[in-house]
Amino acid sequence: MIVKLIKSRGMRRFSRNRLAMFSLAVIIVYFLTAIAVMLGAVSRDDTKERVGPNRLPGFLEPIGAEKRYDFDKWWVSELTNVFERAARENARAGGDPRAVLDEFALAERTIADGSYEDLKPAFDAMTEAWHELDDVFAEQLDLDDEAFAIRDEIKELQAEGEDVADLQAELEEVEALLAELAPRAEALYQQVEANIEKLLPMPSGFAGLVYSLRTMLGTDSKGASIAAQAVYSIKIAFQVGFVTALVAVLIGTISGAAAAYFGGWVDHAVLWVVSTLSSIPYLVLLAVFVYAFQAPALAEWFNNPERPALALVPLYAAFGLTFWIGTCRVVRGEVLKIKELEYVQAATALGFGRFYILLRHIIPNTAHLMFINFSLLFIGAIKSEVILTFLGLGVKGQPSWGIMISHGADGVTNFFFWEVGAATVFMFVLVLAFNIVSDALQDAFDPKHV
Amino acid sequence: MTNAPDAKPVLQVRHLTTSFRTDDGIVTAVDDVSFDVFAGETLGVVGESGCGKTVTSKSIMRLLPEHLTIYGEQSEVIFEGKNIIRANEREMRKIRGDKIAMIFQEPMTSLNPVFTVGWQLDEALKYHTNLSRKQRREKAIEMLRLVEIPNPERRIHEYPHQLSGGMRQRVMIAMALCCEPDILIADEPTTALDVTIQAQILDLMNGLKEKLHTAIMLITHDLGVVAQVCDRVMVMYAGRAIEFGSVREIFHEPQHPYTNALLESIPKRGSRRSRSRRLPTIPGIVPSLRNLPKGCRFNDRCPACQQRCIDEEPELINHSLDRPVRCHFPLNQKTQTESAH
Repeated sequence: MIVKLIKSRGMRRFSRNRLAMFSLAVIIVYFLTAIAVMLGAVSRDDTKERVGPNRLPGFLEPIGAEKRYDFDKWWVSELTNVFERAARENARAGGDPRAVLDEFALAERTIADGSYEDLKPAFDAMTEAWHELDDVFAEQLDLDDEAFAIRDEIKELQAEGEDVADLQAELEEVEALLAELAPRAEALYQQVEANIEKLLPMPSGFAGLVYSLRTMLGTDSKGASIAAQAVYSIKIAFQVGFVTALVAVLIGTISGAAAAYFGGWVDHAVLWVVSTLSSIPYLVLLAVFVYAFQAPALAEWFNNPERPALALVPLYAAFGLTFWIGTCRVVRGEVLKIKELEYVQAATALGFGRFYILLRHIIPNTAHLMFINFSLLFIGAIKSEVILTFLGLGVKGQPSWGIMISHGADGVTNFFFWEVGAATVFMFVLVLAFNIVSDALQDAFDPKHV
Repeated sequence: MTNAPDAKPVLQVRHLTTSFRTDDGIVTAVDDVSFDVFAGETLGVVGESGCGKTVTSKSIMRLLPEHLTIYGEQSEVIFEGKNIIRANEREMRKIRGDKIAMIFQEPMTSLNPVFTVGWQLDEALKYHTNLSRKQRREKAIEMLRLVEIPNPERRIHEYPHQLSGGMRQRVMIAMALCCEPDILIADEPTTALDVTIQAQILDLMNGLKEKLHTAIMLITHDLGVVAQVCDRVMVMYAGRAIEFGSVREIFHEPQHPYTNALLESIPKRGSRRSRSRRLPTIPGIVPSLRNLPKGCRFNDRCPACQQRCIDEEPELINHSLDRPVRCHFPLNQKTQTESAH
């Protein structure tokens, strides 16, 4: 049957659609990533671990002068902390300063090999250069002030029509001094950075690759890797999407088919629930269900860190209880049609029971609706998960695109787009690819489409 | 009754009255119909659209929506000594398919499109027999061969859409007969087929009846079909059985004016009348079940209608031997004396 499907005309038409094939490849990459994450390629700790200074920009963005100072200052202060502790340990009789140095690590990036004494000169050189850099900046500030004062004075005198040649010369002198400071500062920066590199060398080989991937999209406001969070969120998104769509489609199909097939009070009851639930805006309904799971007793049970698998259950339940409505309505309509077809009567005439006919003869005939609804709900659930999480109602304690967006929101006002951007792009690409593929599938397999 | 090949009826229907609850009140679709089906015979049920043929057959199978259907208090459908009109769903399930099978009019939709022919045959066998998987497969192939489907070993792996209409009807017959039922109810089995296929299917059913000794209740509006395969005929009009008789009697000596009018309206090749005159039709339409005429239900269309027909509804009476007819003034009365001797 699968071979037949692959060889079918629709499949050939689908495979000629390059955009669709590319989107399918994208979805497969996402899917494989989700599975890899599930198997532990990116753990939850990886997404929380500090890999560098706060709000480190990603690979494309050059680091400006102001940020360079801030980042170098962060590295210097971190290293100073470590080396001060190591120095205390060194001073203590029988202390092991190397152990203190070993404690410090930014993911794969650890302090260079060698004893405390070996590393001490580099640290001293770094500290010295840093202090000198501070002096240079202090000097620069002074000169700036001076130049500013002179300019003011020149303006005043010019207004009174007096001679300003002396002051002009003085200003030029100050500006020359200032210009001299810039290359000095640059040299000191390089000295500091070279020593940081010496103390905390970039890991080489595979570890280096992993580290550069981690910092590729920058870091968030706590110095954790944005790339790791975005990738881990793929797993959360697929989990929520898959479980929710499966649960919703099953509930919807069974209730819709039963309502249509049995009629009578079953139909009335199902329709009553469906129309009641669909009269409430679905985000509000979702929020209500999620809130219900935040009752202290339930929240304690589901948010227990010992059972991380349960953490998403409230979300599954809320989505599953909300999303089945559309499926139910569609399937009910289809079954109302199917149950009048003669093969259903023929099955009854062969002596099959009503439940058996419903399960084995009617529901398999709604399979196309189940597939369509599954793909729609899958994407719908991912989008809703992000929205709810952004509002603070969804995923908790795990990375999710929604959490990234809500955390990154205040960064945006400081021109730091990497966190929001990464989450948005990851989600956008997935949703777009899914929509393109489902459109292309529909076009390819629609018999009315020539 | 005459011409019955076997004197023992397998199915006795007595005073079957089937009514439906509708928005306009209760409508009686089948009114006080009684007949027998004997083993190994073919009973034809003939009548215009809406006269209650299908409702009669579905009442026997109890396929009508239970919550909307009311069966008359005196209604009895006696099968194997039991009144199955009052049987519960579980008992019915054992009878359906196993003892009484049914095939439907529309072969295009009577097979489930998502399963293979073999799967559907196997399902029926699994439900009613204790055969092993291999035996069931063999039986399925055997049944397909019996209904003259070429290459059954390959056909069992095919889906209904890969088969033609006639082929599907053969599969339906195979499914209906695979558990060797005592009675096969065929509800217009050939209406949707073209004429050559129709003849093949009818021949096939005739052959199978003799081979398997199954009684057939054939519902049709096509008198040609009746002439070809039936032993006895019941004519229905507006929910009533109006005439019984053997095929020969019905075709040659119709007693009820309605039967006569039906036969008149068949074009006859080579007859003088057909060349010189318009084909006769029955004027008017079948009366609405909600608004039946008083007296005989055929009175407003009957050419021989008299005052008595309007005042009083006729009973089903044996005017001649074993030929019950529901008419005050039956035609071809002369046969009474002839057959009495």
